[in-house]
Amino acid sequence: MIPMADQIIVVAEQREAKLNRTSFETVAAAQAIGKETGWPVEIVLPGYQMGSLPQDLAALSVDKVYSLEARALELYTSDAYVDALKLFLAQKQPKLVLFPHTYQVRDFAPRLALALERTLISDTIGYKWENGKLLFTRQMFQGKFAADVGFAGEPPWMATVQIGTYRADQVEKRAAGNAPIESVSAAEHVPGRIIPHEIFQETKQAVDLSQASVIVAIGRGIKEQKNIAVAEDLAKVLGGEVAASRPICDAGWMPLERQIGSSGQTVAPKLYIALGISGAIQHIVGMKGSRTIVAINKDAEAPIFEIADYGVVGNLFDVVPALTEEIKKAKA
Amino acid sequence: MMHFRKPIEGIERPQMEADVVIVGGGPAGLACALRLSQLIDAYNDQLEAANSSAPPLTKENIYVLEKAREVGQHCLSGAILDPRSMRELLPDFESEAPIDGKVVKESVYYLSRANGFKFPIVPPPLRDHGNYVISINRFVKWLGAKVEEAGITIFPGFAGSDLLFAADGVTGVRTEDKGVDKFGHPKANFEPGSEIHAKITILAEGARGSCTKQLIERFHLEDPDHSQSYGIGIKELWEIPSGRLLPGEVIYTLGYPLTTREYGGAWIYGLSNSNASTLISLGHVTGLEYEDPRIDPHHAFQSLKLHPFIRRLLDGGKMIRYGAKSLPYGGWLTMPQLAGNGWMILGDSASFLNSQRLKGIHLAIKSGMLAAETAFESLVAGDFSRNALEAYKDRVDGSWIREEMYPVRNFHQAFEHGLFEGLIRAALQQVLRGGNLGPDFKNHAGYTKLRRLDSLGQSSRGREPMLGPAKGDGKLTFDKLTDVYYSGVRHEDDQPIHLVIRDLDICNNRCVKEYGNPCQNFCPAAVYEMLDAPDATAGKQLHINFANCVHCKTCDIMDPYQIITWVPPEGGDGPNYDGM
Repeated sequence: MIPMADQIIVVAEQREAKLNRTSFETVAAAQAIGKETGWPVEIVLPGYQMGSLPQDLAALSVDKVYSLEARALELYTSDAYVDALKLFLAQKQPKLVLFPHTYQVRDFAPRLALALERTLISDTIGYKWENGKLLFTRQMFQGKFAADVGFAGEPPWMATVQIGTYRADQVEKRAAGNAPIESVSAAEHVPGRIIPHEIFQETKQAVDLSQASVIVAIGRGIKEQKNIAVAEDLAKVLGGEVAASRPICDAGWMPLERQIGSSGQTVAPKLYIALGISGAIQHIVGMKGSRTIVAINKDAEAPIFEIADYGVVGNLFDVVPALTEEIKKAKA
Repeated sequence: MMHFRKPIEGIERPQMEADVVIVGGGPAGLACALRLSQLIDAYNDQLEAANSSAPPLTKENIYVLEKAREVGQHCLSGAILDPRSMRELLPDFESEAPIDGKVVKESVYYLSRANGFKFPIVPPPLRDHGNYVISINRFVKWLGAKVEEAGITIFPGFAGSDLLFAADGVTGVRTEDKGVDKFGHPKANFEPGSEIHAKITILAEGARGSCTKQLIERFHLEDPDHSQSYGIGIKELWEIPSGRLLPGEVIYTLGYPLTTREYGGAWIYGLSNSNASTLISLGHVTGLEYEDPRIDPHHAFQSLKLHPFIRRLLDGGKMIRYGAKSLPYGGWLTMPQLAGNGWMILGDSASFLNSQRLKGIHLAIKSGMLAAETAFESLVAGDFSRNALEAYKDRVDGSWIREEMYPVRNFHQAFEHGLFEGLIRAALQQVLRGGNLGPDFKNHAGYTKLRRLDSLGQSSRGREPMLGPAKGDGKLTFDKLTDVYYSGVRHEDDQPIHLVIRDLDICNNRCVKEYGNPCQNFCPAAVYEMLDAPDATAGKQLHINFANCVHCKTCDIMDPYQIITWVPPEGGDGPNYDGM
C-alpha cells in the first residue's frame, strides 16, 4: 500500500532542448490550485539528456522537479510517453496531474488516462475549489456554455489546461535557491508500433499562433491580397504574427493555419489588433481571451467594437500605416 | 477559382461485400435495420428449434452509413411523434425512449400583422392528443444504440456519395473520399472511399437525398406531373422564463409573416421545465414554391419572432440552438417509384410525410419496417430483383400508411393558389375524403414558380418582413451567421466545395440579372454570397462559404436553373444538432 500524497504533478513539455512556454502556464495553474487546496506542486519533465531544462523548472516556486529520462523519450511517441508516465504516476499516486493542452498532450493524455483507468478532464479554462471538491471548468458548444466538471473516480485525477488560460509570466519563482531535482530513469520502452522519424515543418511559414504575444489579424476590410503588406508591416514593428478571419484564408490569401476562430486557432495574445474584421461570433470565440484588443474598422456598428478595449472607426489604410510609422519612431 | 467535390479518379478503392447497405441513419434507416435484425433473429431461432439444415442468416453483412459524426447529429424536426409505428417496432418503447412528454394542450392561431386569432376548434388533423413531444436528435441516438445492440454495424462519419449502377439497377454505394484538399488533391491523410457492393441498397437519406436524386434522375422515377414539393423548416431552441408555455403544449400558427400567397406556418412546442425556465422548440416552415426570389425564409422566421404574439413568449429568453432542414410535403401523389433491381427508398427520401398533419417520423419508421420485411424475404429467397423488392410497394399499399396518406393526397396541392382558396379546398377534401371536384391535382416543382425580378412589379405585396437577409438585433432576432454558429456546424476547411455548381457563368452573368441570386436569400446558413468583383461583368461574383452549410438541401431544391447539386462533404462534417 503506497501512502497517498496529496500533491499536484505538472507534466511539463520540452522538445529539442526547449521548454514549451505552455508548461509555465500550467505550473501557474497548479500553483493557484495548490494555494487553495494546500497541495504541494511538483513537476515532471519527460525526455532524454535534457541539459539544464530541469534546472530552469527548479527555479520556480515548486516542491520538486522530476527529470524522467529514457532514451525512448528523446523523440516523442505516444506509446513511450504513456509507458513512462504510467509507471511514474502509478508510483507517485498524486492527487492531481495537470498538462498543458498542447497537440502532444492531446495525443497521449487520453491514452495515459485509459492506461491508468483514471478520469481526464480536457481543455479546462479554470477551476473551483468548493467544500473540499475540485471542479474544472470546460467550454461546451464552442464556448457558448461553461460547465463545471468534477472527477467521478479515484485519484490521480488528470486535467489539461487550455493554452492562454494562465499566463506564463504569472508563474511564481522561488525567492532563493532551487527546488530539489530528482532524476528518475524510466524503464526502456521497447519500440513497437510507432517509430519516430525526423521532425519536419510542413511549410516554412508554419506558425504556432498560440505562442505569439502580438497578433495583427485582418478581415475582409483588407479588400485585396496585395494590401496584406499593410498588416505585415505593423506586425513586423510590433514583433508579432499576422493572422486572419475566415474569408481571407478561404480566399487563399493566407494559409489556413493562420485562421483565427471557431474553425481555426484559438489565441490569447497580449495584444490583438483586428483590422477590417467585423467580428462575427465565429471569429470572436477564437480571440476573446486576448489581453488587449484593438479594433480598426470603418463600420462603427461592427460587433468587433463590443469586445474591443480600443476602437478606431476609420479607414484602415489611413490608420495603420500612420500607426506603424509612430511605433517605428517610438522605438527608434 | 472554385473546385467542386467529385470522386477522385484513377485510384484503387477498397471493395466490400454486403447483404444490405442502408444509406442514412435517421428514423427510417434505423427502423429498417432494427426490424431486419428482429426478423433474422426470429428466423434463425426457428431454424434452430426445427433442427433445420438450412443455413442461418447473418447480420454481419448489414451496414448503415451515416454522414454525421454521430448518429442523430444531422436529424432535425419539431418534433412530435405519433407512436403508432414505434409501438409496432418495439412494443412498450415508451418505457425507455427519450420522450419529453405527452401533448397536453394544443391550439392553432392565425396571425395578422399585429394580432393573433385563435381558431375556435383545433382542426382534426392537427389534434395531437396521444402523441409525444420528442427531440428527434436524442430519439434517433437512442434508436441507433438499439440497432448496434442488435448486432448491426453503423458507420457514423461515412456518407453515401455515389450509387454503383448496373444497367437496370443498383449494385451498391461508394462512400466519400476523405482527406482531399480544396483543389481536389489527396492530402497526407487521404483515404479513398470504399465501394460497398450490396445485394440490396436501401436509401434513407431524408429529404432530397443526394444518392436518391441520382437514382431518380437515372431511372426517371418521378412522375413529371407530380414533382416533389418541399418546404424549409427553420428551428431554434429557446429557454424562456417559466410559466408561459406548459411542457407538452403545442401551438401552430398560420399567417404572418407569410402573405396569403406563400405556403407555410410555425410551430411552438413546450419541451421541459427546469429551474425558472422552460425549454421550447420554435420553428417556421416556408414552402419552397414562393414566387418572389427576394424572399428569405430565415428572415421570415426572424420576423415571426417579432410578432407580438411570439415576442410575448420569448422576451427575456435565450436562444440556444439553431438548425434548418428541408422537408418533402407533396404527399402520396409525389411518391417516386419505391423499389427496383437491388434498391428501395424509404422515409422522407420517398415522400413519406403527411403534410396535412405535419408529421412524417411515424411514416418514415413504418416505411423502414416494411422495407425490412421485404429485404428479409429477399435474403431468404436469394432474389433481389425488382420483382422481389416491389413487394415493398405492395406492403405500403396494404398498410395504414396508405390509409393515412391517400385521403390527403391533394391537400398540399390545394394551396397552389394561396391560403384562402387552399383552406376552402382542404375543407372540401375533408368532406369528399381526399378527392376534388375533378381529377387529382398536378404538382409542379417549386422552383418553376419563382418569378424574374423584372416581372415582380413595384409593390412588395406585404412581403417586406421576408425580403433579403435579416439583420438581427442579437437578442430576439439574429443574422444568419450568428444563427449558423448555434447550429454547431463544422467542416474541414481544406476540402473541395460540396455545393457543386454546373455553370458559374449562369450565377455571375444571368441569375444576377434575372433573379438577383436568390441563393443568398433561400440558404439559411449564409453559404452563398455575391461579393464585389470589379472584373466581373455584373460587378459581382459568387462566393461559396461551404463550411457554413447545415445540409438542408434547400439550394439543390430551389435554385431556379437547377444547376446546384448538393453532395456530401467529408464524412463527419456538418451541423451538430445536439438536443434538437
